[in-house]
Order: sequence, then C-alpha cells, then structure tokens
Amino acid sequence: MRRAWLWFAPAMVVLVALSVYPFLYAVDISLRTPSGYGLSNFTRLPTDQFFLVSLWQTLVYTAGALALEFTLGFVLAMLVNREFRGRQVLRSILLIPMLLPPVVVAVIWRLILNPEFGVLNGTLRTLGFDTKGLTWLGAERSAMFSVILVDVWQWTPFMFLLLLAGLQGLPVEPFEAAVVDGASRWQIFRRLTLPMLKPVIAIAVLLRGMDLLRVFDQIFILTQGGPGFATETVTLYIYRTAFRYWNFGYAAAMSFVLLVAITVITRSFLRILRQQPA
Amino acid sequence: MKRQSSLEKFAGPALLAGVAALTLFPVYWLVTMSIKQEVDQFAVPPLWISFRPTLEHYYDIFWVRPFATYFFNSVVVAGVSTVVALAIGTLAAYSLARSPRPGLAFWVLSTRMFPPIVSVIPLLLMLRWAGLLNSRTALIILYTGFNLPFVIWMMRGFFAEIPPDLEEAAMMDGETRLGALWKVLLPVVKPGLAATAAFCLVIAWNEFLFALIMSQTDAGTTLPVGIAGRVTQYEIKWGAMSAAGVVAMLPVFLFASAMQKHLVRGLSLGAVKG
Amino acid sequence: MQSLLRQVTAWAWLAACCAGVVGCARVEGGSRLVVAVNAGVEGDALKAAAADYQTLTGARMEIIELPYANLFEKAMLDLDSRTGAYDVIMMDDPWFPRLASAGKLTALEPLYRQAGQPGPDDDFVATSLGLCRDPSQGNRLYALPYVGNSQLFFYRRDLFEKYGLAAPKTWTEVREAARRIGAGEGIYGYVMRAAPGNASVTDFMPILWAFGAELLGPDDAPQLDTPEAAAALGFMVEMGKWSPPGYVSFNADEVAAHLLQATAAMSINWPAWVLAMDEPTKSKAVGKIAFAPLPGEKRPGQAAMGNWLLAIPAGSRNAGAAFAFVRWATEPAQMRKAAERGNPPTRRSVFQDADLASRLRAYPVQYQSLSTGRPRPRTVHWNEIENVFGTLISQANAGSVTVAQALVRAQHEISEIRRRNP
Repeated sequence: MRRAWLWFAPAMVVLVALSVYPFLYAVDISLRTPSGYGLSNFTRLPTDQFFLVSLWQTLVYTAGALALEFTLGFVLAMLVNREFRGRQVLRSILLIPMLLPPVVVAVIWRLILNPEFGVLNGTLRTLGFDTKGLTWLGAERSAMFSVILVDVWQWTPFMFLLLLAGLQGLPVEPFEAAVVDGASRWQIFRRLTLPMLKPVIAIAVLLRGMDLLRVFDQIFILTQGGPGFATETVTLYIYRTAFRYWNFGYAAAMSFVLLVAITVITRSFLRILRQQPA
Repeated sequence: MKRQSSLEKFAGPALLAGVAALTLFPVYWLVTMSIKQEVDQFAVPPLWISFRPTLEHYYDIFWVRPFATYFFNSVVVAGVSTVVALAIGTLAAYSLARSPRPGLAFWVLSTRMFPPIVSVIPLLLMLRWAGLLNSRTALIILYTGFNLPFVIWMMRGFFAEIPPDLEEAAMMDGETRLGALWKVLLPVVKPGLAATAAFCLVIAWNEFLFALIMSQTDAGTTLPVGIAGRVTQYEIKWGAMSAAGVVAMLPVFLFASAMQKHLVRGLSLGAVKG
Repeated sequence: MQSLLRQVTAWAWLAACCAGVVGCARVEGGSRLVVAVNAGVEGDALKAAAADYQTLTGARMEIIELPYANLFEKAMLDLDSRTGAYDVIMMDDPWFPRLASAGKLTALEPLYRQAGQPGPDDDFVATSLGLCRDPSQGNRLYALPYVGNSQLFFYRRDLFEKYGLAAPKTWTEVREAARRIGAGEGIYGYVMRAAPGNASVTDFMPILWAFGAELLGPDDAPQLDTPEAAAALGFMVEMGKWSPPGYVSFNADEVAAHLLQATAAMSINWPAWVLAMDEPTKSKAVGKIAFAPLPGEKRPGQAAMGNWLLAIPAGSRNAGAAFAFVRWATEPAQMRKAAERGNPPTRRSVFQDADLASRLRAYPVQYQSLSTGRPRPRTVHWNEIENVFGTLISQANAGSVTVAQALVRAQHEISEIRRRNP
C-alpha cells in the first residue's frame, strides 16, 4: 500500500500531542526544584512516609480486588458454562455495572453503606442485628475493605464474561478424550482447562490490574482517601500533591513510579501471553 | 454422577437469580432514592417499595441546577469525540492492517497504559496555552486521544481479517482507495465499527478526572463532574445526586441492551470474541 | 494523480469538519459577572444576593457553585494563569496567603480611590478585615470579608443547670462537665470532629492555643516539640472518651447532627449552625443550647476564624463591575439582609442592630468570638501543613499512633515542608 504513513498521520499527530508531549513535560517538571534542575523530587520519594503508605495501599487495593474479582468471576463462569434458559438476560444484566459511570457507582454505594441510614445497616438492624460496629467506609479498619467491595461489585461481571467467553472458545475434543481416558474433574481442570485458558486469564487480569493501579474516580467520591489515610492510593496522593499543595514537580515524580509499576506488570503479563501458542 | 448433574441443573438458574439480584439491587436503590422525598430516603426500616414518589429531585436538577447544560455537554463531548476518533482511527487502522508495523502498533497500545493522572497536568497547561480550558472542545480533543489507541487496535484486527482482494477489485473498477474503504470495506466491518463506537461512547460518557480538572464554569462541566459537585461541605444532596445518577445511567442502560454482544468484545480489547 | 487529488480533497473535507465541530463547540464568553462560590450555606447567601443584584442593576450574574473540596484548585488554576474565568472568587481565609500571593488578585485600594473613597470603612470587624490584607505584599487589601465565621462553643444549658455547672471557662471545666453529664445522662458529653485535614486541625487549634502552645513560630518553623503541645493533643485524645465512636471520621455535619439529635452535650461549631439548633423541624434541642466563647486554659480562649472572603482575580476582565458588586454585597444594608438569611456578618453595625440581636441570641457571643478571633497560621503552604498535621491528629485520636509519635512526626514533616520551599 503506497503512502500508508499518510493515512496514519492524523492519528499520529493526536497521539504524539496527547501522550508524547505530556510525557516529556512530566520528565522536565519532575526535574525542576526551587534551586534549578535536580533530583530532589526523586530522592524525596523513599523518605516520604505518606507516599510509601499510599503505594502500599494501592497494591493492597489492586491485589485484593483482583483476587476477589478473579475468583468469583471464575467460579461463576465454570458453573454457568453451558446453555440454559435466561443466559442472554443474565449477560445483559451483568453488563450494567461495568458500563455505569464510576462516579454514579460510588454514589450508589455511599448511599447503601452509610452506617447510620444506609439500606444495608438499616436492613440488618430491622432483622435484629447490632450494626454499631459496621461502619464500612467510616472507619480506618473497614474502609479499604469497603472500597474493594465496591470495585468487586462493578467489575466481577467483567471477569466473569471474559472467562466465560474464553471457556466457550475452547475446543471440545481434548476434553472428550480426557473423559474417555478416565481423568477426574480436578485433573481435567488442572491439566486442560487452566493451561488452555491462560491467555484469556492473562488478558483479563492485565486489563483489570492496570485499571486498578490507576483507580481514582470511585475512591475520590467514596472517601477522598480517608478516613485518616486509610484509602489513599497513589493517584489520590498525586492529585492532592498537585492540586492541593500545588507541587506539580513532586506529583510528576510520583507518577513515574506508578508508570514503572504498570509497565513492569504489563511486560510480565505479555511475556506469559507470548509463551502461549495461540 | 447423577446427583451432580441435578445439582448443576439447579445451579444455573439459582446463580442467575442470585447474581442478577445482587447486580440489580444497587441500581434499583438509586432509582428509588431519586424519587423518594427526603423524609423517606433514610427511613429505618428502609422503605423498599411503599413510599410516596416525587419528582422534586428531577425538578431540582433540571430547573434549579444546571444539569440540563451538563447533560448537553456530555452528549456533545461523547458524541463528537467518538466520531472524530473513529474517523482518524479507522484510517490509521487500515494503514496498519495493510502495511503492518508491529512496533508502531505496540506503541499505539502503550500510550493507553499511561496513567491519566500523569498527563493531566501537562495537558492542562497545553490547553490553557491554547485558550481552550473550560470548553467542550478541550474534552473532545482529550477523549479523542484516549479512544484512538483503542479504535486503532480494534479496527486493525477487523481489517486484517478481510482479504486485500476485496478493495483491490473495487479499485480496478476505478474507485480510489479511500472510496473503496468507504464503499466496500466499511460495510463489511460494520458490526466491529459499531462495537468500537459503543465502547468509545461509554468511555467518554463516564470520564471524570479530566473533566474535573479542565472545567471552570457550567459551560465546561459534564454530568459526572456535576454529580460529584453535589457533595457539599456540610451535607450531601442525596436526592439530587441520585436523580442525576439515574440521568447519567439511562443512556448507558439503553446501550447495554442494544449492543451487549459487541460490548464484551470491546471491553477485552478485542482479545476475546464475545 | 487524480486519485491523490481526491485523497487530499477528502482529507481537507475531514479537517474542515473537525474544525467546524471544534469551532461550534467553543464556549462563548459574554459581558457578565461570573462568581465562584462555595456550594453550601456560605455560598447560599451570596447566591441570593447575586440574584437581587441582577434584578436591581440588570447586570448578568452567573453563579458557579463549587464543592469545598474543589474550590481551592479551581481558584488557584484560574488565578495562577489568569484565565479570567471568574470575576469574583469566594475563598476560605486560610487559603488567602496562597491565592493572594504574587499579584494573583486585584488590589482593592486603587478601586476604592476610583470610587472616591480612601478605603474600606471602619464598620468592618477589624480581625475580619485583617484577613484580607497580605503582609508579604505591603499589607495591601486584596479581598473583603463576607461571611464572619468564627468558632463558638455550643453547650446544653439545661443539662449544665441540672448538674449545677456554670458555662465552661476552661478546658478542664469542659472535661469535668463532659464526664458528669456523659455519665449521668447516658449521652455523649462532648462531640468533636477529627476527620483528617481541615476538620481535625480546625477543632484542635483552639485547644492548642489555650494550652499555651503554637503550631508555627514567627519564622513559620513548627513548634510542636513543646510540653504544651503534648498536653494539648493529649487533652484532645482524652476528650475522645466522651465523644461518639467514629468521631475520627466526623466532619462539621456529623457534629451538628449529634447536637440536633440531642445525643451530645457540647462541641465547637460554626455560627452557620446556630439557627438550625432552634428549628423544631431539625432540632430536638430547641432553646436548650447556649453559645459561649471558646474556653481557655493556660491562656484565655480564642476562636479560630473561618471567614469567607470575596476577591477579584487579577485576570478578570470585568474588575470594575466585579468591585461594584463586591462592595454592594458587603455594604451594611445588604449584609443585614444576608444576616436574615443566616449569614454571619462581618460588620459591627449588623451585630449591634437591635432588631436582629433580639432575634439572633448568639450575636453577642458571635461578635465577641469574631472580634477576638485568631486566624489559622498565615502561610502559603497552609494546605500542605494542614493536611499533614490533620492526618496525624486524626491518627493520634484513632490510636494508631501515640500523642508523642504524632507530634514528633508532625514537627518533622512540617520542618521538611519549610526546608523544601526556602
């Protein structure tokens, strides 16, 4: 095809303007300090307790949500992996949470989880339970669990639908052969299903993981990082540093740590993907 | 073995009911909150169905507060950015499909990995320099950029599945390449295009961080930012927030029912055929 | 060749379409006054005033309500790059040093002179007007005070009488009253807000001052390594015993809710809540709550001020018209009207208005609190200091760090903020 670059040019212009330029700018501003160019924004990183805690909490949040969503999604997909009446309906319903604006999802759950007048504690009280200790988003010890819960509600369907599609894409023959050979269900799962599903699993975990590391909207609405510092993730701390403390240089330095984390994780998953003959 | 299969027979519908209920209840609750009077909103025990409905919160957001403007902004921004991203993304995708450059394709995808919080500051300064802060234009440009990698990646896959003979035959008949793309190829990839468009629309409709930072007055505010703005220092306007949430949710609902099959594929970057 | 031509034409068409769309979507600015206000009670009075002003003068007013959490960044973005998006900005007084720095706001003296006046009249409460001057820029006036918030001590007079207690003069008396009423009535003796950041710092400052400690010294260096500071934070944590569970995540609304529901006997709160306390639809303690100046301890009690100021960005293209509005809104007649709507005034004449004072029983105390009030430390780095200090105060109250640890870390972190920004 002649002049293929010409066809690509407009897209190239937009992508360079909106990703390469910001990247270079972020490098530049992160190296600026009150006393000329220097590395002080970066040397501050390992000494900043708030940053380290937010980084740790981001990992906890990502790992916790990912583990729950994957496990639940997988179990559901395995159980539903065959034709039954209403499957189309189920799929339409399951699409709803993940298409909703994260802001709306956060609003919904703030309503539900409100310890005094939320419907969850309200119902529990009506049923005779003591809900005094169930503060959900309101206490340091339960807030992280609660924000994870909200993400699980919104994104487990994503895992489920992806894994279900993956399961249904698997060829039938190897499984029939295994049954003929007298393999147990567990053996079939371990030796056949899991390895053959690996690419789909990797893609699903990768896409979700990337989004979780960058989470902003929900936590911004749900807790703004509180109570205390309990749900402050890196993106929230970057936001605070940039737009409350007006320190763009340090915010940029922190975002490079986030970028490195995302790149490392992506690369390791892509390696898993490549190892697999498609 | 027989017991297991009867368990399985039961498991499907039971799960369906359970999962569907858990998924739908929060949405149902939001809808009821939006039509409950304030005294009923936090009644204990919670009022599940029996309450006197009211439209006061909808009146509040559309007549007292400028949510009509926000809604309009959201529609324009999501719509235009999707059209632009599809237009230039399709051309790029076609070029990549016919003259493959794996390095370039990967680079395109990698721009999506960039955490938005990193690029928001430079983009803010750039748009400020261009005098575009607080405008729908700014958001249209930004969302076009967000969605481009996705459009290119998806459409490249669809074009690659079509043998080049198809457009070459058309070009023999005197069409230009662009004409062939428009008249011959696009009709073939229409379902894929629809899926991609649907996905872009949802992303642009839901976006929050950039809209939050770039907006200054009502003229540049989209629905998600407007909703978040109902959390004030002393109290949260639950009724207005719920009503606005329902308004933001409705288009997505319509979408989910119309495009469900395509959306699964879109969500997984085309990796899985849903 | 022809195909190339057509290709180029197609491209041009596409580009034109994009440009057209972009052009259409461009927001048009007009000659109207855009006022950014805090979404909430403080903003409501100014919103109503702006509506009156529009009817009165025909000026087109656009009110942008921004949530407290975003108002600062919106203001800062606009001021920092002079986008001219807002003509009037309503700001919380601790933000003033940062927002006024480096000539971001319009100095008001020249505008006064143009209007034929030497400067603001002396009816403004001196402490409030003092918040509007920037010592780092020749003490020039960059704003006018609109909402005269400063802390009041709310307490249940009926319960104090029942237990034979006088209005608390010192924090020790507060503790004693909290203990006795809390034990005797089965309600919370005291309620405070210790959510990290603004909430916990605002509730702690008057205790810190009363105990003879300071957050920042005259050179902005932190002074939290003193026995007085330790005693103050220790006292706050001890008061937690009589505060409702979960108070470490409370904001002003939760504190008010406990008073309104008659589940707590005392608290520090803003004048904005005074009216609600006597409203039967909202309050279960109508007429039972009294208002006092902040208690002292080693030093006389002083309230933290939380005034809202009106300022005109240097980038505003309608500075003249904006000033006319700001002056109109802060003149005695308008401020009296706003006071009727529940807005705490910043003018002596409004506080002394016999008619208002007869209906608003907190006015004498409110005036005393405001005229003797003290701003939170005036530094451009206040946001960062407040966030760091507030997080640590909150954690100390939650028990995840000890009082000593919290103060050592706060001292260190605030020193670092100062070191990083020489």
